[in-house]
Amino acid sequence: MNIVELLIPELILLAGSVACAIVGVSTRRSMRDALPAVAIAALGAAIAWTLCCGDTLAEAAPMPALSKWVTVVGCGLGMLLVLLNAGTADRDYEAAVAAGRTKFDPLRTTRGEFYVFMLLSIGGLLLAAKARDLIWLFLALELTSLPTYVMVAMSRREQRAQEASMKYFFLGAMSAAMFLYGFALLYGATGTVELAAMHEVFTAQQGDVGMIALVGMLLAILGIAFKLAAVPMHLYAADVYEGAASSVTAFLGFVPKAAGAIAVMGLLWTMGMHADGWLLPPMVEVMLWVMAVLTMTLGNVAALLQSSAKRMLGWSSVAHSGYILIGVIAGPDHGGWAAVLVYLLGYGLSNTGAFAALAALRRGGNEVESLEDLSGLAERHRGAAWTLAISSGSLLGFPPLLGFWGKLLLFIAGVSSGHIVLVVIAGLNSAISAAYYLKLVALPLMGASTARSREVEPLSVQWPRIAGLIAAAAVILLPIGLPAIAACAAAVLVN
Amino acid sequence: MSDLLHMTLASAMTEADLARFLVLSSLLFAVGLCGFLTRRNLIVMFLCTELMFQAAVIAFVAFGRWHWDFSGQVFVIFILTIAAAEAALALALVVLLHRRRNTLDADTWTELHE
Repeated sequence: MNIVELLIPELILLAGSVACAIVGVSTRRSMRDALPAVAIAALGAAIAWTLCCGDTLAEAAPMPALSKWVTVVGCGLGMLLVLLNAGTADRDYEAAVAAGRTKFDPLRTTRGEFYVFMLLSIGGLLLAAKARDLIWLFLALELTSLPTYVMVAMSRREQRAQEASMKYFFLGAMSAAMFLYGFALLYGATGTVELAAMHEVFTAQQGDVGMIALVGMLLAILGIAFKLAAVPMHLYAADVYEGAASSVTAFLGFVPKAAGAIAVMGLLWTMGMHADGWLLPPMVEVMLWVMAVLTMTLGNVAALLQSSAKRMLGWSSVAHSGYILIGVIAGPDHGGWAAVLVYLLGYGLSNTGAFAALAALRRGGNEVESLEDLSGLAERHRGAAWTLAISSGSLLGFPPLLGFWGKLLLFIAGVSSGHIVLVVIAGLNSAISAAYYLKLVALPLMGASTARSREVEPLSVQWPRIAGLIAAAAVILLPIGLPAIAACAAAVLVN
Repeated sequence: MSDLLHMTLASAMTEADLARFLVLSSLLFAVGLCGFLTRRNLIVMFLCTELMFQAAVIAFVAFGRWHWDFSGQVFVIFILTIAAAEAALALALVVLLHRRRNTLDADTWTELHE
């Protein structure tokens, strides 16, 4: 298959981002208001093309069908995230223009760029799933991350957003250098940058892959752990998630994390897939194991201590990376990677819903952040309160919500691949996480209103609320189709 | 002729040569990492990440030469492009931060913390 045809979904997103950049500087307000529609149309077109004509996408990639799944899920969730971010950038400026207080100046607006960055970052996620060599993987991961650094900085006018962007960017650049050095060592050990050829070399070595390749793999995983927000590269997570606008935080919680998980799976495939089944080199497995345990424990314990709902959700997203790593360790044989894909879908929807509830509310012109602001929310803002409650329930893994099924699949995969201790630790962690997630369920629905929560007002823009409701509805309704979803995810991994 | 050239060049790199390149590149990487962790000036921190990138570049070129395979060099071209994009982003960010606080010290930015 020719390479241009392979890249049509990404090219559609690229065309969409160019269109957004042009529409964003239009002097007509109705045109600028159509920006989210343009971005969503591009994402929809990418999905439609993949479903209709994308049958044999990326046949040379390690997992040929993976890119179809990632395109549909990534662009689908991307539509929600675009909807959630509609009206984030330049909200005050657009309001001033609408009220006639100032004239529109194409040089001052950054609204179009904001959608461009979202589409490009999602494009990076799609490319990561198609990666067939290390160069491709490196470029895809960078394409996913570089736009998000800018999105964080421009999402709010406050200094906190810029501080968050600084921390995110510098740690991001450092981690990129780290996985790049890992790639260099992997290349040195195998003499090829192509994943399939690397796989052949490692298979021929029959488990004894050599020191250079091992160190390279460890460095690569450590660097990519930044995208996952996994220990030890998690340090930025709480600060960045707090500093960015809630709608952007939802984006950061899904797109880079999904790209990171997929990249780690693609790399591990080269080393762990053998003719007689899935077996990682012991050193790599031990490191992933320790990372998983530390990530979920640290994430959950730190989340428990927070008084800000945003920081709490930030730390909880660190914990979720730990759960994802269980599936990664379990490998493709025991349904581990299929579980990761289902889990990413459930986590992405729930995370988007939770942050959408926060993004849909305002208190005195600022974001709603502390738990106190959320107490007794249901009395005045029923939609946001229920969205938050349902999403938090799903993040906790409360049956029958989607998050529960994702977690169940992960735990089953963990047990059947023999990592019982790991699953027990994850179970204990889920119990810890109940303590703070139930706060997010109970406070809005049953808490008493406080002086702070009475000042909470809905955002003037409707879209975040609608995005939250869609996410919450999906979290409730998708488990009906769960067998089909799980079957699709499992089929993705059959070579 | 070209075959002969190929053979001469291919045999010119010994294991000791490769080791020298790798020692240089790992030293560069370590210096970059240490600098990133210890220095607090934003521009110096960024230069340290660049050092780490260049360490990877040296390793790629050396390995490419060792394996007599050009994908290592192709990789380097892409790395340089990405490094340039990151430099543009870093400088834009540094200008933005400097306008706000009039300093480049990373430690003055402590609004976000536990």
